Amino acid sequence: MLRDLVHRTRALFRRRTVERELADELRFHLEQSVERHMASGMTPTEAQRLARLEFGGIAQIAEACRDARGVSVAEITLQDLAYGWRTMRRSPMLSIAAVGTMTLATAAIACVGSLADALLWRAIPVDASDSLITVAATRGRPGDGVVSYPDYVSLRDRARTVNGLAAHYSTAPLFVVAGGQAREVNGAVVSANYFPLLGMQPALGRFFGAEEDRVPDRDRVVVLGYDLWQSWFAASPSAIGSVLTINGSGFTIIGVARSRPPGLTPMPVGLYIPTMMLRVGYRWCDDALAVSCTVVSMIGRLAPGRTLADASSEFAAIMPAAWAGAPIGENRGLRVSRPRGMSEDDQEPRLVATLGVVAIVLLIVCCANLGGLLSAQSAVRQTEFGVRMSLGAGPLRIVRQVLTESLLLALVGGAGGLLLSRVFMAALARMFFAMDDEGHPLSYDFSQSAGVTMATLAVAVAAGVLFAVLPAIRAMRAPLIGVTPARSTAPRWSAARWLLAAQAAIAVAMLAIAALLAFSARSVLEGRNYDTSHVALMRVRPRLVQYTPQRAQQFHHQVIERLRAMGSVESVSMVGLGSVLSGGSARVSLPTWAPEQQLAVHYNEVGPAYFATLRTPIVAGREFDDRDTAESPRVAIVTDSLAARLWPEGAWIGSSIVIGQTRREVVGVVADLAIHSRRDSTQFWAFAPFWQNSGQVDSRLAIRTTGDPALLLPDLAREVHRVDPAVPIAETITLPTRIAALTRPVRVGALFIGYAAALAMLLTAVGLYAALAFAVSARTKEIGIRVALGAAGARLIGSIVGEGLTVVVAGAAIGVALAAAATKVVASLLYAPAAADWMFYAGSAGLVTAVGVGASLLPAYRAAAVQPIVALRQD
Amino acid sequence: MDLPQGTLDLLILKAVALEPQHGWGVAERIRQISNEALKVNQGSLYPALHRLERRGWIKATWDLSDNNRRAKYYELTKAGRRRLEQQTDAWRSLTSAVNLLLDHH
Repeated sequence: MLRDLVHRTRALFRRRTVERELADELRFHLEQSVERHMASGMTPTEAQRLARLEFGGIAQIAEACRDARGVSVAEITLQDLAYGWRTMRRSPMLSIAAVGTMTLATAAIACVGSLADALLWRAIPVDASDSLITVAATRGRPGDGVVSYPDYVSLRDRARTVNGLAAHYSTAPLFVVAGGQAREVNGAVVSANYFPLLGMQPALGRFFGAEEDRVPDRDRVVVLGYDLWQSWFAASPSAIGSVLTINGSGFTIIGVARSRPPGLTPMPVGLYIPTMMLRVGYRWCDDALAVSCTVVSMIGRLAPGRTLADASSEFAAIMPAAWAGAPIGENRGLRVSRPRGMSEDDQEPRLVATLGVVAIVLLIVCCANLGGLLSAQSAVRQTEFGVRMSLGAGPLRIVRQVLTESLLLALVGGAGGLLLSRVFMAALARMFFAMDDEGHPLSYDFSQSAGVTMATLAVAVAAGVLFAVLPAIRAMRAPLIGVTPARSTAPRWSAARWLLAAQAAIAVAMLAIAALLAFSARSVLEGRNYDTSHVALMRVRPRLVQYTPQRAQQFHHQVIERLRAMGSVESVSMVGLGSVLSGGSARVSLPTWAPEQQLAVHYNEVGPAYFATLRTPIVAGREFDDRDTAESPRVAIVTDSLAARLWPEGAWIGSSIVIGQTRREVVGVVADLAIHSRRDSTQFWAFAPFWQNSGQVDSRLAIRTTGDPALLLPDLAREVHRVDPAVPIAETITLPTRIAALTRPVRVGALFIGYAAALAMLLTAVGLYAALAFAVSARTKEIGIRVALGAAGARLIGSIVGEGLTVVVAGAAIGVALAAAATKVVASLLYAPAAADWMFYAGSAGLVTAVGVGASLLPAYRAAAVQPIVALRQD
Repeated sequence: MDLPQGTLDLLILKAVALEPQHGWGVAERIRQISNEALKVNQGSLYPALHRLERRGWIKATWDLSDNNRRAKYYELTKAGRRRLEQQTDAWRSLTSAVNLLLDHH
């Protein structure tokens, strides 16, 4: 074994010596043979001839000896690499095209990998993250899985399979006033065991302990995030002990967390307060610590030796008793899982899967293309392979050579793709993942993990093997020198033809889907029956500073008056639930209906001039105005389709509708707000006046401006602050910005698939051009004869372009079918009506066909320019 | 007569067992001792020599030949001697078994 190794190593490093010795040895044999023949009376010439004849092919014997000696794999590979490098340099355009193609295709693969890693796969970056678990409530339908604080305490105290269970509410919008600054900061309300559970260490001071998280509302202590400490307190150690105001209450700073704490959500945490301060941090329940207020998420650490399954069965057993009979929509079970990825959007897994399929299809298209190109090159290299085989190289050795060359291209391309994907991911993060739909900053870690790097390189290697298949088969069929004419026969292009048609089909399908997605993103933004342009949004939250509903109403009236008085403001309105263009839900019915006939609809409480502000057409009646107050009769507005559903025979205005428990008179019907994807059917909406809910305190304003709303945002905020500077203002963004953030998956999909489509189209064009150009050059003689016999140039061009066109048209037809199928897959990302789809299919097919014709024209003109006399002289 | 499959290694080991031989010598010796009955093809002789060397059954040294030329001489190693004995026994028992079978009427 050792000897074997020594032998092989010697063969590798002392190759020259070993080679010379081999040559000497074989020459000695020949000379002996020559001497013997001369001794028997032959002339030296005769003797030499006979000796060589007897000996056989020296090159083959030497090669067999090298094989026998077990020349190392490394040596052959080095040789092949050197050879491959020379080949690459000899046809630089082909090599650049191949490496470039691989770079662009593997960059797409690496991007999907990084997206999937950050959004879906990555564990929380803490020590022993394997034993971390999240415990989430299930509700029989998609929901966030939060539980109430008392339920958390009962689970924490009874669970034995975990070594600690922490509660956290990591997306608490806290209005912080300190050191002359006042701003909404994302905070986390966490139990005291949160810090040790995640292995966090303070950079300064300390974290709060169990005693400080035991009595409700007593210990007003806060731990600052590192970045907040830096920006608000200039990283001064004297920050410890000072007091800042959170949602109107004073808190003492006791510590600073280290930078880059393990985030459990994409929203960076600016400060941490104890769960006993939930009543300050969470204002949507009357008592945030009550069992009816579901607010905290749970994260725990498995006890040593315990598994996920142990914890699952235990938590099912210790679930609060009241949950057992709970209806769908309320907490009724517990799910234990490992925390993976940062995704909070149920569309994202589907998006990532779709992009993954697109990236793989793109890579396969590249393989087909490169396989075709290299196979054409391999046909040109028949002579070279023939020479090598005549010199003793076996077919396997040649295949190996071709494979090494392909892998070289693939790996260089793969490495390039990894680098390029970093650029792409940085751009994606900046364009789409920097801000949520309410204007809060987000922080996703899209850095390339070792796993993604390895997987991408593995995929590149697989691709290299894949696109080596065709050229390798061709190379193996290379005829020996002198055995058959060295000139290759005309290449068959039927197989290549089908590959090209498939590429064209994929290009058409990708192009159509990308266009559909881009159009969807645009149509949501431009809106049907609403107009987002020139609308600014702002959230005013008097509840955080303990406003009563009465005082809040006064405040709102003053704010609206002031804003309306601004020259650049056209109209102002507001919503009481959720946000502008969305809202909450309600059950509606007619007074005559039985309870089980109730319809679930979308619902919001909107201010006067809401529909004027959104430019939603009023189909009948009027919209809410200042007449609709808490004292006036209860009124409602419904959308067109809901009206048609409730009163099919018309006569909507003046009819009665029951929303929740309240009977209201319909005063207006508005056009349907089409802001739903194709997967959802038309949405019914009902609206009640903002002022008829006497409990209203907070609101989200919608302000239509005459100029660019983005530029006006600071002025608008200043105007609101003039009414009461203490009332927190947040989420000051424009409506288009918000819609763009809401439709992130659509826009990411459009950009990514558009990239893939552009690349696929380019590849189809290059592939078609190369195949036709090669066919023309191989048929120069035939074309020459036809020209000599009087074939017109136009007919020649027609016949070549016709060949290309057949392929592209066949591909485009398949592509349209593919696109129609793919449209169904991405239906949840499509917002525009399906009626116009055919235009996108036709447009994509037309574009790819046009590009195909363009790619065919060049070789066709070259064919037409063939001089018969030159062509016929060619061998 | 062509060599039966697998016997070349045995013949080479035997040929270099007495004294170191170069490739030409090995071929000559096999030819002479077998009364010209066995002929070794160079195309298989040299790869076989290199293979046996790699296995460690023979080792090579460069020396001057009878006619004063540099030649590569192969000699048996200890492992090679053991191998030769094993192979010889194996060959004997094989041939005697085959003989028995052939002689059986």
